[in-house]
Formats: sequence, C-alpha cells, structure tokens
Amino acid sequence: MDLTDIKSIIIASASEQADTDEIPRRLEDQGVSFDFSSDFNEKVIERIFKEKFTVIRESDFGKNLSKVFYRIALTGVAAIVLLLLSIFLTEGSISFNSFLGMGSIYDESVFYLLTGI
Amino acid sequence: MKESYRLADENELIKASLEGNASAFEEIVSRYRRLVARTVKGMLGDSVYAEDIGQEVFIKLYYSLPEFRGEAKLSTYIQRIAVNLTLNEIKRRKRFFSMFSQKGNDEIYEYEIPDHGGPEKEEAKELVNKALMSIDPKFRIVVVMRMLQGYSTKETAEILNLPLGTVLSRLSRAQEQLRKILKAL
Repeated sequence: MDLTDIKSIIIASASEQADTDEIPRRLEDQGVSFDFSSDFNEKVIERIFKEKFTVIRESDFGKNLSKVFYRIALTGVAAIVLLLLSIFLTEGSISFNSFLGMGSIYDESVFYLLTGI
Repeated sequence: MKESYRLADENELIKASLEGNASAFEEIVSRYRRLVARTVKGMLGDSVYAEDIGQEVFIKLYYSLPEFRGEAKLSTYIQRIAVNLTLNEIKRRKRFFSMFSQKGNDEIYEYEIPDHGGPEKEEAKELVNKALMSIDPKFRIVVVMRMLQGYSTKETAEILNLPLGTVLSRLSRAQEQLRKILKAL
C-alpha cells in the first residue's frame, strides 16, 4: 500500500458512510498505531500512589500548623494582658504616655532633656 | 507478592481499584492505554506533552472512579476523560502561545516520529499525523474518533456530547480540509 492509498483512507474516514471498523485496522496494518512509552504504567501508578501519600502528609502538616498557631496565639494574648496589667499597676493608667514610660514625666522635663535649654 | 488481575473482569478491577489496589488499577491502565494514546496522540501529535496528558487521564480516572456508576462502558468513560483533557490542553496552549505570537496553534506541536517500523510505515504515520495536525481541533477530534478509534457517528456524538447533526457537519468540513491538505502533501 502506498501513500496515495493512505491518503484515500484518511479522506474516507471523514465520510459518513465510512466503515469505521475497517479503517483503524487498515491503518494499523500500515504502522499507524499509537501507544505510550514502555514505562507508562509504572509512571501512572507511581504518580497516583505518591500523590496520595503527599496529600496525607500535607493534611498532617496543616493540622499540626493550626495547633501550633493556636498555642502561639494564646501565649501572645496572655503576654499582652500581663503587659497591660503591669503597665496599669506601675503607671496608674494605660494611656499612650504610660506605654512609652513617660506617664510621670512633665512636658518641661522632656523639653529640657531633648534641647538642653 | 503482586496479585494478578490479568483475567479479572472490569467490575472486579473497578472494585479492587476503589479499595486502593494498585495492581488492579495497573491492569485497567494496561487495558486502556492504547485507547487513550490514540485520542491524545491523535489530537496533540506524537509529543512528550501527549504522554503527560495520557498520565493525567488515568490519574483523573482513578480519582473519579467512586463517581462511576457503570451506566456507560468503562471505555466510553475513559474516552470522555481523554477527550476533555486533550481539548482543555489545546485551549490552554492556544491561550499561552497567543500571548507570544500571532501564529495559529498548528505550529505549537512538535512531531516525534517514533523509531519503529520500516521507512514506509514511518511515512504513513507521519502523513496521518501531519494531516490531523493541519485541521482545526474541533474537526480533528471528530476524525480521530472515526479514523483512529473506529466509532460510528452516533457513538462519536455521544462521547463528544454533541448533536448528531453537528458531528456530521464537522465530518464534512473535516473531509473538505483533509482533501486540500493531502493534495499538497
């Protein structure tokens, strides 16, 4: 069978009346066959089962991360409350000046400290 | 020791695969890899991308097996996945390449003529590849279903989820395009 015959088969395959059982067989006889590489099956299986383990590991990591986050967040909130309490006890209020440690310093003293006049 | 599923029927393979049995699913891959290759390689050319899409088809099949109700044949179900993923890949590549060039998607694909068979057999395959790659993907898919898979127009319409009339008109347009292209080759 030469290339002209192959061309005829290709054109005929797009015809409504084409014998669709016969065409693939005739083409295959002429070497027109399609397949994947020899290690295709192994690659597919490896990807599926490797991905499965990755998903499990990822979900474990996610769970652990959220646990750690809650612990850190709780510790942080506790530390802030203690800080505010200690500021209130030492300075008598929790104003902005108290935060900066300047609750009991007069404006004149600050001016003197900064300019020396 | 690996359990052999070579003689197992389709339902048995599906059931074992759903239970996470790799050997059973590997048997499904072995049985349908050529069916998928014909669609994917017929649409994308004999390229490395086709191999990747082929793998994606079976990965998608594995994860969608719980939804497989057995209303259609497993081969039809796999074929639909292959068609969808291949058409999506063509669209994705078309979008990607249109950002960099004004050329159509026909220039996207690389041909890799496999090193098997005599020179005449290689020529025949190259001719089929060139003819398919030269026609519009929406016509190409219809020709692939008929020429490489051997489906009837009715089956093609069912797999592609198209009305029969659309399949017939696309076949006619494809035939017109193929005539012109093959005359020049």
